[in-house]
Amino acid sequence: MNLPILSFVIFFPLAGAVILIFINKEKKNFLRSFAFSVALINFIISLTLYFNFNAQTPDPQFVEKEAWIGYGINYHVGIDGISLFLVLLSTFMMPIVILSSWTSIQKRIKEYLIFMLMLETGIIGVFVSLNLFLFYVFWEAMLIPMYFLIGAWGGPRRIYATLKYVLFTMFGSLLMLVAIFVLYTTYYKATGVYSFNLFDYYKIILNPNLQVWLFLAFALAFAIKVPMFPFHTWLPDAHVEAPTAGSVILAAVLLKMGAYGFLRFALPLFPEALEKFLPLLVILSLISIIYGGLMALIQKDIKSLVAYSSVSHMGLIMLAIFALNMEGIEGAIYQMLNHGLSTGALFLIVGILYERAHTRQIKDFGGVSKQMPVFSAFFLICMLSSVGLPGLNGFVGEVLCLFGVFKTNTLLAIIGVSTVILAAGYLLWMFQRVMQGPIKNEKILSFKDINKREIGYLIPIVILMFWMGIYPKPFLRKMDTSVTHLLNKVSRRERVFIKAEKDKGFISEIKKVLEKEKNKEMEEELR
Amino acid sequence: MNSFLALFPLLIIVFAALLVLILEVFIKKENRNYLAYVSLFFLIICGIICGKFWDKDYSYFDGYLFLDNFSIFLSFIIIITTFFVILLSMKYIFLQDVNYGEFYSLLLFALSGMMIMVSSGDFLVIFLGLEVLSISSYALAGLRIKDEKSSEAAIKYFLLGSFASAFFIYGLALLYGASHSTEILSIIDYFKSETSLSLMALIGLGLVIIGFGFKIAVVPFHMWTPDVYEGAPTPITAFFSVGPKAAGFAVLLRIFYPYWKVALNSQAIFWLLCIISVLTMVVGNFVALRQTNVKRILAYSSIAHAGYLLIAILAQDNTSLVFYLTVYLFMNIGAFAAVIALGKKDREYLELEDYAGVGFKYPWIGATFAVFLFSLAGFPPTGGFLAKFYVFVGAVRQGLVPLVIIGVLASLVSVFYYLRIIVYMYMREPSTEIEIYIENPALFLVLFLCLYGVLQLGLFPGNILILVQQAVSSLPLF
Repeated sequence: MNLPILSFVIFFPLAGAVILIFINKEKKNFLRSFAFSVALINFIISLTLYFNFNAQTPDPQFVEKEAWIGYGINYHVGIDGISLFLVLLSTFMMPIVILSSWTSIQKRIKEYLIFMLMLETGIIGVFVSLNLFLFYVFWEAMLIPMYFLIGAWGGPRRIYATLKYVLFTMFGSLLMLVAIFVLYTTYYKATGVYSFNLFDYYKIILNPNLQVWLFLAFALAFAIKVPMFPFHTWLPDAHVEAPTAGSVILAAVLLKMGAYGFLRFALPLFPEALEKFLPLLVILSLISIIYGGLMALIQKDIKSLVAYSSVSHMGLIMLAIFALNMEGIEGAIYQMLNHGLSTGALFLIVGILYERAHTRQIKDFGGVSKQMPVFSAFFLICMLSSVGLPGLNGFVGEVLCLFGVFKTNTLLAIIGVSTVILAAGYLLWMFQRVMQGPIKNEKILSFKDINKREIGYLIPIVILMFWMGIYPKPFLRKMDTSVTHLLNKVSRRERVFIKAEKDKGFISEIKKVLEKEKNKEMEEELR
Repeated sequence: MNSFLALFPLLIIVFAALLVLILEVFIKKENRNYLAYVSLFFLIICGIICGKFWDKDYSYFDGYLFLDNFSIFLSFIIIITTFFVILLSMKYIFLQDVNYGEFYSLLLFALSGMMIMVSSGDFLVIFLGLEVLSISSYALAGLRIKDEKSSEAAIKYFLLGSFASAFFIYGLALLYGASHSTEILSIIDYFKSETSLSLMALIGLGLVIIGFGFKIAVVPFHMWTPDVYEGAPTPITAFFSVGPKAAGFAVLLRIFYPYWKVALNSQAIFWLLCIISVLTMVVGNFVALRQTNVKRILAYSSIAHAGYLLIAILAQDNTSLVFYLTVYLFMNIGAFAAVIALGKKDREYLELEDYAGVGFKYPWIGATFAVFLFSLAGFPPTGGFLAKFYVFVGAVRQGLVPLVIIGVLASLVSVFYYLRIIVYMYMREPSTEIEIYIENPALFLVLFLCLYGVLQLGLFPGNILILVQQAVSSLPLF
C-alpha cells in the first residue's frame, strides 16, 4: 500500500473546510450538501482501512513517516487494532451529525460546517498520531473548533460552558505537555537521540519515582477528558449547552480520546506507576459508575440525564481497562464503540425532540409515542442498546467488560454490575415519562413524526447496533493481536532495552544495546 | 573583519530619518503618505543590505559596533516591525488625527536606536542606542496631542524611562568601577576571574538588569506599560510592544549568554531573574483577566510574554529566545493590526463590548484576529505554540521543571482572557453594530503577512530555525 490513505482521511475534511470558506454563505443547501458529501466520502475511504487491515500483526499499519520540524518531531501516523475502530467511529458519525443539523442550525451555517470539518481532522489526527508532538498538536488543535461549536451555536449558558470545557481540558493537557518534555529530555539524556516517537519511549525503563509524576500528569489529562469523577463537572455543562451535533460528537468520539489516551500512552509507558495507582483509579471508576448513575436518576433535563449516563458508562469502560486482561480491554474498546453509537443516538433523539418542542424538560413531555410512533420505535431501540439488552450491541460490550473485571476481582465486578441496573432505572423511567402515558401537553399534539432525513441518519446507527450485538466477531478479531501486545507491554514482558536513569554507567550500556538492536534490524532487512 | 561597512545599515536609517524630516517641510499635509513611501523604500534597502552582510561578520570602531549574524537577525526583526508599523499608520494618522510630519522620522530614529542596541557589545554604546530609542519613544507616545491619555502616557513613559536610564547608568558605573571596562565581555570576564566576587559588581549587574527590566516591561518594573500602551496611538503601541522588547532581550542575551557559562557565583542573579520571571508571568496574566479595554489586555499580555522570554534566558536557550521573538513579532503586530482595522474616522473601538458580533460581521478580520489570539495563547498549530514549546523544552532540559509548570499554568490563565475577546467576537449578540473604515489596503497587507508568518512559523519553521541557529551561534563568547 503506497497510497497515503491515512493522511487522506485526516486532511480531506480540512481541505473541504478550506473550500467551504470560498462558497457564498447564502447558498445554504449547497453548503450543507457539500459538507455532507465530504464527510461521507471520507467515511467511504476510511472503510478501505478496515478491509485492508491485517489483524495478524500488532505493529501499526498504513504507517506514514515524514521528517517535519526536526529534533524528533516527525509526521508519523499509523493505526493498529485499537485505533482502527475509533477512526471508523469518527468518520461514521460525522456525516450523521451533519445530516442531523440540516434544519436545526439556520444561522451562520457556513462557519458551523467549517468548524465541523475542522473538528473531524483534529479527532482523527489524535487517534492516528504515533509521534507525541503530533499527538499533542491534534489534541489541542481539536479544542478550537469544539470551543466555537459550543460557544457560538449553543444554549443560553453556552459561554460559561465552553470556557469551562476549554480551561478544564487545557489544565490537564498543559501538565501533560510538561510530562512530555520531561520524557523527551530523559530519553535524550539516556540515548543521545532526540525523539518524540512513541515506540522509542516504549523501549525505555524509567526510574519509578519519575514514572509516578509523569503518570500523574498523563492520567490527569486523560481522566479529565474521559471524564472520571471528580473531574467530570465540565461534561454536563458542555453537553447541555452544546448544539445537538456538538453533543453527539462530544459523547461519541471526544470522550473516547481520554480512554484511548490511557490505552495508548499512560498504561504502556508507565507500568510501574500504574501498579501504584491502580487501586485509586479503580475506586474513581467505581465512583464514576455509581455517582453518574445516581445523578442521572434525578435529572430533570433529558440531555443532562444522557450526559450523566455517559459519566456512568465511561466509568465502566475505565474499570474494564484497569482490569488489565484480554477480556477487559477488548470489552472496553468494544464498549467505547457501543457507547459512541448508543449515546450518540440518544443525543440525536433528544435533538429531534427539542427541535419540535423547544424544551428538554422531562415534565413537559408525556405520551409522545402516540403522536410519533416511528420515532418511538427508534428511541426504544437506542435506549435499550444503552441499557444493554441482549441482542443489541451494549450487551456484548458490557458482558465482556464485566467478565474482565470479574477475572481480577469478584467484588469489583459485583459493584460494577450496578451500572447496568442503574442504566435500566434512569433510562426506562425517562422513556416512560416522556413517551408513554397520557398526552400531558397540548403542544405535543402538533408534533410531526420523524421525516425521511431523520430516519435516514438513525437507520445506519440502528443497523450497526443490531449487527454489533448479534455478530461481534468482525470487530473483536481485528483487535486481538494489538490488545495482546498492549498487555505484554503493560506487564513488562517486552521491555528489556534501555534504562533511563541519571547514572552515567548505564548510558554506555544503553548505547551498546541500541547498536545491537540496529544490527539486528539491519540483518533482518538484508534477509 | 574591521570595516566601515558595518556602519552602513545604521547610516541608511539615520539618513532616511533626516530626509523624511526635511521632505516634510515641502510636502502638503494631505500628501504625507509620500513620507511613508520614502521610509518604506529605505527600510527595504536597509533590509537588503543587512541580508548581504549575512555571515560576513563585519565590525567597526574596534568592536564597539558589529554586524554579526545575531545583530543582523535582530535588526531584521525590528526593521520588519517598523515596516509593518509604518504600513499600519498610513491611514491611521489621517483617521485618528495624529498627522504630524515628525511621525515617520521619529519612528526611524527609534529604529536606529534599537539597531545600535542590538549591534553593540559595549555598554556605553548600548546606552547611546537606548537613549536614542527612548527619546523618540516619549515623543511618539504623546503624539495624540488633543488626547489627555496620550499626554499622560508620554509623561509617565518619560519619567519612568528616565528612572530606568538612571538605574542603568548607575549600574554601569559600578560595573566599570569593579572591572575597569564598559565592554560586556570584559565585564563578564571579571566575574570569571574574581574568586570572591565583590558586592559592588553584583549590585551593578543587578541595576543594569533593572534598567532593562523597565524597557522589556517585566514585573515589578511594568507599571508604565498599560497606561502608555493605552494612551499611545495604536500603531505606536504595536511598535512599543515588539521593537524595544526585542532590542532589550537582545542585550540581555549578549550579557547572559557568556555570563552563565563562566560566572562562578551566578546564584544571586539567577534567583533574581527567576523571581522576576515568575512574578511577570503571574501578575501579567492575572491582572489581564480584569481588563475590559483590548489595548490594555494586549499590554498585560505583552508583559506576560516577557516572563516566558525570561525563562529562555534562564534556560540558556538562545535559539528558542530568538525564535520566540520572531513569532511574537508576527502575532503581536497582527493582533494590533486587527485592533486598528476595527476603527473609523475619529473613533477607535477598544472596549470589549464593541467587539460583540464582529466575527460574523467582518469574517476575515475576525478570523485573522482569532488566529493571532490563539497564537498568543499558545494553541497549536500556530507559531505561538511552537515558540512556547521550544522555550519550555529548553527549560526542562536545564532541569527547570518547576518554572515550566508555573509557566504553563500561567499560560492557562492567559487562555481565558484571549478567549474572552473571541467570546465577544463570535458568541455575543452585538448591542450596537459598529461601522469600520474598510479601504485600507496597507493594513490588510500587514494582516495577511502576519497571518502567513504565524502559520508558517507554526507549521513549517524549518528554514527560519536554521537562520536563528546561525544567528545565535555567531554570538561572541570569549
